[in-house]
Amino acid sequence: MGSSGGLSRRDLLRAALVGAGGVALGGALAGCATPSAAGSGKTSVMVWDLFSGGDGALMQEMAGVVASANPDIAVETTTLAWGPPYYTKLAMASSGGRPPEAAVMHMSRLAGYAPGGLLEPFDLEALAALGIREEHFAPAVWQKAQFDGQLYALPLDTHPYIAFHNPDIVQQAGLAGADGKLDLSAVAGADNFLEAGRAMAEVTGETGVSWGYQRDPAGCWRMFWGLYSQNGGGYELTPGRPAALDEEAATEVFEFLQAMVDGKVAAKNQDGNAASGRFMSNRTGLMFAGEWDLPMFQGANPDVGATQFPAIFDTPANYADSHAFVLPKQGTPNPAKREATYRVLAGLLKEGLTWASAGHIPAYQPIVQEPAYQELTPQRDYAPAAEVAVFDPDAWFTGGGSDFQTRMADAMTDTLAGKAPARTAVTRMLSEMDRFLSQPNPA
Amino acid sequence: MTVSNAGVTAPPGRALPDSRKPSGRPAPRTAARGKSLRERDKSGYLFVAPFAVATGLFLLLPTLYGLWMSFTNQSLTGTGSEFIGFANYAEAFSDPQVWQTLWNTVWFTILSTVPLVVVALVMALLVHTGLPGQWVWRMSFFAPYLLTSAVVSSLSSWLFQPDIGLLDTWLAGLGLGPVGWLTDENVAMFSIAAVTVWWTVGFNFLLYLAALQGIPAQQYEAATIDGAGGWRRLFSITLPQLRPITLVILVLQLLASLKVFDQIYLLTAGGPNGSTRPILEYVYDTGFTNYRLGYASAISYVFFALILVFTLVRLLPSKKEA
Repeated sequence: MGSSGGLSRRDLLRAALVGAGGVALGGALAGCATPSAAGSGKTSVMVWDLFSGGDGALMQEMAGVVASANPDIAVETTTLAWGPPYYTKLAMASSGGRPPEAAVMHMSRLAGYAPGGLLEPFDLEALAALGIREEHFAPAVWQKAQFDGQLYALPLDTHPYIAFHNPDIVQQAGLAGADGKLDLSAVAGADNFLEAGRAMAEVTGETGVSWGYQRDPAGCWRMFWGLYSQNGGGYELTPGRPAALDEEAATEVFEFLQAMVDGKVAAKNQDGNAASGRFMSNRTGLMFAGEWDLPMFQGANPDVGATQFPAIFDTPANYADSHAFVLPKQGTPNPAKREATYRVLAGLLKEGLTWASAGHIPAYQPIVQEPAYQELTPQRDYAPAAEVAVFDPDAWFTGGGSDFQTRMADAMTDTLAGKAPARTAVTRMLSEMDRFLSQPNPA
Repeated sequence: MTVSNAGVTAPPGRALPDSRKPSGRPAPRTAARGKSLRERDKSGYLFVAPFAVATGLFLLLPTLYGLWMSFTNQSLTGTGSEFIGFANYAEAFSDPQVWQTLWNTVWFTILSTVPLVVVALVMALLVHTGLPGQWVWRMSFFAPYLLTSAVVSSLSSWLFQPDIGLLDTWLAGLGLGPVGWLTDENVAMFSIAAVTVWWTVGFNFLLYLAALQGIPAQQYEAATIDGAGGWRRLFSITLPQLRPITLVILVLQLLASLKVFDQIYLLTAGGPNGSTRPILEYVYDTGFTNYRLGYASAISYVFFALILVFTLVRLLPSKKEA
């Protein structure tokens, strides 16, 4: 320090360099100290999720509870925007060898992920030691979580695409049961449903049903695939061979959707935001959306009702997907971190009641059987959706947030907007499917 | 032009002027001052080094690596990297999606470039010819350029919202029906081009304004004395003087428009029915969503070659002009 008492430029530089060296050294030492989280003496477990909004807040809350129950673990949750980029980031982090310890994934993406060596299977014994066993899950969901005979995903929930309703409008339209909620039999069958939609439109003075399909590829696909399954449609998606759909069944689905999006039953040219806006401002009586929208709708109307998808066609079916925890493959496996990760994930599953308040149906059945869950409305009203859940077709390119859903929606928008006949959507979808099937599986 | 070094290499038998002698004119900077030049070279290299290293690491190496990948079946999941020769290129040339998205890119370029040049020129002329409150115009014309693509897309998304969007609401007020701004195959690209013009025209406007301010006032004075009116001055002085900057703007704009990706990805994600999907989104979808990095690299290189050819063709006549 100079005689002036101030800090000369040289002193400052020297101090900065020493400081930087200290930080670097500290960082290096902290690196040696893993598995403990730097400085805190805790093992850090990072979990990536794709939950925005209310879902994200609940996941944080659950992680907080798990962290307090495990004082030796630092749980770090990172929320990334959902959609195709989420899976790109996860794949890149895994292939780069430095992924988070655990991540949330749609089970529908498992077929494209597990074979590529991006994930590691769960150790069933380690899970059992934490009280997580096969008998705690619905067989269909447990089965969907398997790949190559091993458990690759730990299911957190089932999240179906369901029908929300406004009890007041439904009652005025004469569609309510004795309990004042939507009577599913009053909206069963295509003609009945359209009639019910017109009745609700009479009440609102605008349209009866909210469904936004514009600029919402996932919504388009969920609606189509659910109804197509209701109509008994099968599929064959075998790489290298042309795609096969029941074209008649698919065409009937689009004929129904065109009849629904007629400007009276449902608005003609609507996107997801507009559809939600109309439903929440009591301008429609019924809304097709994912159950994850429940907190948002309850915010606008605490009495909002919800049921599984109405039986428009003959076979009971309800489109659904499932959030599950997966273990991205680590470049340098760390047994201590792995052990802590199992504890965190088991803890999160057991916090399923909190998760259920967001509208999701917990996959961990002991939660569903708790009296507290049975008292949750309207959750318990649409819980039967899980029993008739249909997932995405099994192929490496399908699933939530996939390019496949975007291309399928692209193929159907002209038809939905009434600019092309019902058949056109089916033809276009088949040609897009053929394109995917002709591509090599990158995994 | 300034002194060219080309003519100064010493012909046999003739010494170059000694730079130490006062010669009445500045010594030509030539290789004759060998030592000092080498020294200067050294410091020059030092100055260039950081940029050269960064360019090498983050541009050249990835570019070459991408070229290598285009000959393999490399996947984003890290598996299956085998040399497959020109198979990816063969697939790209026979892939209708490549041609479709290439055409979408060209169509966007045509729709955006023409107004981005013409509107910028008109705006610059209006401001330059003395609209009162120039700074307000300059600021408001340039301000949108400062916004990020996410903000621009968010804003325009609400403007174009089907059913409850501002534009449709205004149209309804006029008794007109709704327009599928982003949802009609025939309209979506026009909407995106319009947003892009609004967003980015400010930069070209500034270039034009600077060029306009560089035209000597004497030329206008002389023309006025000769009796030239406003239109005459515009067509005989202003526009010819703006020709070089117009060429620069045109080339920069074409290259920028060909690279379009973000506003389209955020506004329509390439829909409806793929009508707005540019080739770079196809590259992104192929490489990052479907994990086929090798094939995505091959498509990028096809596109790269096209832009290179276009740029070279553009460079040839501009050399002659110089």
